Amino acid sequence: MTRQSLSLLCFFVVACQQACAADKLTVVATTADFGAIARDIGGDRVQVSVLAQPGEDAHFVTPKPSYIAKLAKADVLIEGGAELEIGWLPPLLDGARNPKLAAGQPCHVSCAEGLALLEVPTTLDRAKGDIHAMGNPHFMTDPLNARHAAERICAAFAAADPPNAAGYRERLNAFTNRLDAKLIAWQKQLEPFRGRRLVAFHNSWPYFAARFGLKIHIFLEPKPGIPPSPAHLADVVAAMKAEDITVVIVEPHQNRKTGEMVAAKTGARLLDFTQYPGGVKGTEAGYIELLDYLVNTLAEALAKSGTSKEERP
Amino acid sequence: MSEAFEIMKWPLVACLLLPGILVYFGLHIVKREIIFVDLALAQVAAFGICVAILLGHDSHDWQTTAWSGALTFVGAALLALTRPSGKRIPQEALIGIVYVVAAAASFLLLSRSPEGNEELRRTLVGEVLLVRPGEVLRTFALFVAVGAVHLVFRRQFVLLSFDPERGRSQGLRLWWWDFLFYVLFGVVVTSFVRMGGVLLVFSYLIIPAVCANLLATTLRLQLAVGWAIATLASIGGLYGSYRLDLPTGAAIVCALGVTLLLTGLWKGARHIAGQ
Repeated sequence: MTRQSLSLLCFFVVACQQACAADKLTVVATTADFGAIARDIGGDRVQVSVLAQPGEDAHFVTPKPSYIAKLAKADVLIEGGAELEIGWLPPLLDGARNPKLAAGQPCHVSCAEGLALLEVPTTLDRAKGDIHAMGNPHFMTDPLNARHAAERICAAFAAADPPNAAGYRERLNAFTNRLDAKLIAWQKQLEPFRGRRLVAFHNSWPYFAARFGLKIHIFLEPKPGIPPSPAHLADVVAAMKAEDITVVIVEPHQNRKTGEMVAAKTGARLLDFTQYPGGVKGTEAGYIELLDYLVNTLAEALAKSGTSKEERP
Repeated sequence: MSEAFEIMKWPLVACLLLPGILVYFGLHIVKREIIFVDLALAQVAAFGICVAILLGHDSHDWQTTAWSGALTFVGAALLALTRPSGKRIPQEALIGIVYVVAAAASFLLLSRSPEGNEELRRTLVGEVLLVRPGEVLRTFALFVAVGAVHLVFRRQFVLLSFDPERGRSQGLRLWWWDFLFYVLFGVVVTSFVRMGGVLLVFSYLIIPAVCANLLATTLRLQLAVGWAIATLASIGGLYGSYRLDLPTGAAIVCALGVTLLLTGLWKGARHIAGQ
């Protein structure tokens, strides 16, 4: 084959790829949970890319040039909203200058919109730490909120790509049916542990706790966003002993050593939790698989660690 | 390619316009053998940013600039006062202490602030990728003003760094010129730290100056070489950051490091060939 014909062939292959890609909706999700649900709903009609790494803190994402490029080319942007991405997404959007993704456009999906968020502060005071004016933004740990997000994502896809709207709705139904059935199973699995208390590193689990009847009210951070201090950790250890708390949860971007230290001092179990599919090994497949992992590991740890001092061997 | 340009346009403008004056200051600093003074002043500037953040100001507020500038001013005065007269305590020791204490103090302050870790990272590597056009142009105007002062008083400043003994014998008030030098230097460092972070400031100051000293002997020629090297490394670093999708500031620092390595190798090869 001559050089010219080879380069001609390459040109056609590339041109065809671009044409096929242009056919699909280009979707950018800020975090992996939205990305996974977008794939569930879009199927092969969408090309999804996720900005934050699943192990990264969604509050703080290191900006890279490709993020601006992706946003510039995207048809749909899915973010959590409620100030989760406020530190890094707005400047990237400024750089991308994509009119389709301007705030308020139907293709800029803010999943928190329409949700009643927990912990909306009555007064704003920076002294209380990293407080979000709109409420706690880690709402996706409640499957019903994920259902809401899925509906919003589906509506945006249908608006951006009307010919395939019916297909998106069909896939949304399949997803929500599966999720609803799973939610019943998860609730049943955690029912024996209703009222049990856990310690977390950061206040990212109030929605999960509320849905499954748990209490996650002690945190390794003294205030949201403030690194643990020795005095605060001593208080945590004392409180764990007093309230007989046997499980500590940490996420990949948090300092696991702090959790290990507290767990060692109290004999508690340290669980690797994550809010994002792929944040912990075995959660890569999607949102439902992530919740499966969380519920299974938690149920197992709670079952093994008894409910009160008398019952322990 | 046009997409690359579209995304990297303002970082590129910033990295072409702003390092000019840093390279010039770098030549002074390398000549005075006070290499870490910039790291120390940059860290003091960053410490000022931390104070402002803890007081509840945003990193783009004017109060942040004021805090950062005021503390840099104090640092500059301190460094000017301690120009070594005897050799008992080298000035380098004091510079090192200023750096370490400013860094540790920033760390302490930010441990009380939400988003502290994030700010700490930002003061170190900056966010060149997300520079705002207005910020770049304002900073450039400031640098032009500082450059003008240096141009007007170039005799004094050059004597000060390159031949202080002759300056003294000509009746130059070294303390006053030293102070002015450090203040202007502090202004430049402060405004660039907010954009590029401590690492990038240090690299733009020192690496082109070192390369220039390897390749040229007169100040004019050194300036030309330094500017050429800063420009090349900026473009290389930005391109690498775009192609390999790396954090921009750190990519430019590494590109500058590679330029120094290549300059050293070339110089070595010429040396061997010359023998």
